[in-house]
Order: sequence, then C-alpha cells, then structure tokens
Amino acid sequence: MPLTDPWQTGRVRTLQHPGRFDPVRIKSKHSDSARHFRVTLQPGKSLYDGLVEPMRAANIEAASTTILGGWYAELNYCVAPPDPQKEAIVRYSAPIYGGESYMVFGNATLGVSMKGTPMVHCHAAFVREDGALKGGHIIPETTIVGRDGISVLVTAMDDFVLRQAYDPETKIPLFQPFART
Amino acid sequence: MTIVEHGAMGRVAYARIAPNEDLVQGIEKTCLAEGIRNAFVRGALGSLVDATLVTKSDGTRVLVNGPAVEVVSIAGEVRAGPDNTIAAALSGVVADTDGQVFGGFFVPGGNTVCMTFEVTLEEWLPADASA
Repeated sequence: MPLTDPWQTGRVRTLQHPGRFDPVRIKSKHSDSARHFRVTLQPGKSLYDGLVEPMRAANIEAASTTILGGWYAELNYCVAPPDPQKEAIVRYSAPIYGGESYMVFGNATLGVSMKGTPMVHCHAAFVREDGALKGGHIIPETTIVGRDGISVLVTAMDDFVLRQAYDPETKIPLFQPFART
Repeated sequence: MTIVEHGAMGRVAYARIAPNEDLVQGIEKTCLAEGIRNAFVRGALGSLVDATLVTKSDGTRVLVNGPAVEVVSIAGEVRAGPDNTIAAALSGVVADTDGQVFGGFFVPGGNTVCMTFEVTLEEWLPADASA
C-alpha cells in the first residue's frame, strides 16, 4: 500500500482526472456588494423547497448560505468514495438515511442546474437519529425541516450567475460562475 | 495587537477552485485574482483528495484519507501582510468516505482539491486603509 501521509512522503497527492487538464485553475467572479437575508426554513418543507421558494420570491438566482443548527424530521445524505465505474475519480454514494437528525452546521450554494431549475448544493455536519456525528453531502430534496424551522443567513450575489455546467476535466457537472448576460 | 478593528464589508467574490490546487493557497489566489486584500470566508464546500489538519498546539497533525474528503464547514479569514504577502487562515470540519468527521486547522499545502471547491469570500475593508 503506498504511503499517503504527506508528512511521511513530504508531499500531497496529485490525482489524474479522466478528462483534459484545464490550465485555468481558479474561476472567480465578484459582486460589488452583497445582499443579506435571514430566511427561516419552514417546518415540514424539504430543505430544497424551504430555501428555493423564498429565494425565487425575492428574485435571487445565486447565493451562498450558512445554515444554522436545527432539527430535521428526516435527513438524507451521501458520501463520495472512489467511483467503482472509474468514469470519474469519485462518485456520490447511494443515499444514506440519517432519520430524525440535528444539523450542527451547514453551508449551501444556490445556483441554476443544467435543466434551468434552481439547484442547492449543501454540505453539513449533523447528528443522526442513531446518535452518530457524521458529515457529508446533504440531499436537499429528501431532507425535511423539523417542527421548529431553521434559520439561514443568505448572502445573495447579484452581479453574476452560478450555473451547473459539465466540467470536461473531472467529467461531472458542477457549479461555475458566469457573467450575467 | 488591535483589539477592535473598525471597517465595513465590501465586495463578495465566488470562486470555483479546480482539482489538485491547495485549498488554502487557492483561497489566497482567489483574493489575488479579485484584488481583495482582506476577507472573511462566508461559504465553503467541496472535496479534498486528503485533508491535513492541525489538532494540537504542539503542531500534531491528523491526515484524513480520501478521496474524497468532503469539507462540511470552514471558518476563516484572509489578511494582507506587511511584506506584500496575503495569508488565509482556515479551520473547519471534514468528513471522510464513511462520513466520519474530523476538525482542525487546515495546513497550507496539505489540502488538495479533489473534484471542486466552491468558496464565497466577503471583502473586509478596514477603516484604517493601511491594514
């Protein structure tokens, strides 16, 4: 087994992705100012609907959000182990049922999917129903807000858009910033 | 040491950092690309090949093996130094391929991006412009 501890090998690992290397490594955009909103995810709604519906009403397409701690009636998540099909370096696992869970902290990005619909990309740390403290990629459509609601700080970015686009290097679709046209 | 630094929030920048870039230096380079001298990290999610975290004051490090290690939270800031440098200091929580969580300080040079990293930075404009 190869050594993977960078403090023994003296270096970190460089992975070979299946697609062509893109020489532009950082794609960034900025807004001259941010608009902030405090949103309460409504009890019984999915994390997706709880966030997307008020954002749509406020005409916000791109945002970065901080999800504060709170209870979920049901939480589903996945992790990202190596892709068994070898088409990409890693691939999301099948959904893992967390049951009634307490989210300790979460971050979610709101953008536009390749289908043109709102998309939420969320990572979080949480305590599952079985008491295990875990972390991973939350599935917003099937994660259901608990009876107390959840507070979210939204930082809206108005001067550019975040769109899910196919990335030829990693061979997966992912969020990238684009100029507003 | 300044106890209270007055200032205001400025621009907000979003970056997609590509694979094999270092997380800490990638955030510093995002600031260079956007002309930002000081910033707070407002949102950050993505994956790392492996994560290297400092967990004790004696410098003890924990290596979390991936790929992919998912970053689930980051608190951090970027500060301009007096010698034309810019430095990000980031701490946070990561999850391994089993969802097990680890926390600590992200070692610069020890946290390469696996698939993608999304970061949102909010510019901090100190009232004393020399900061």
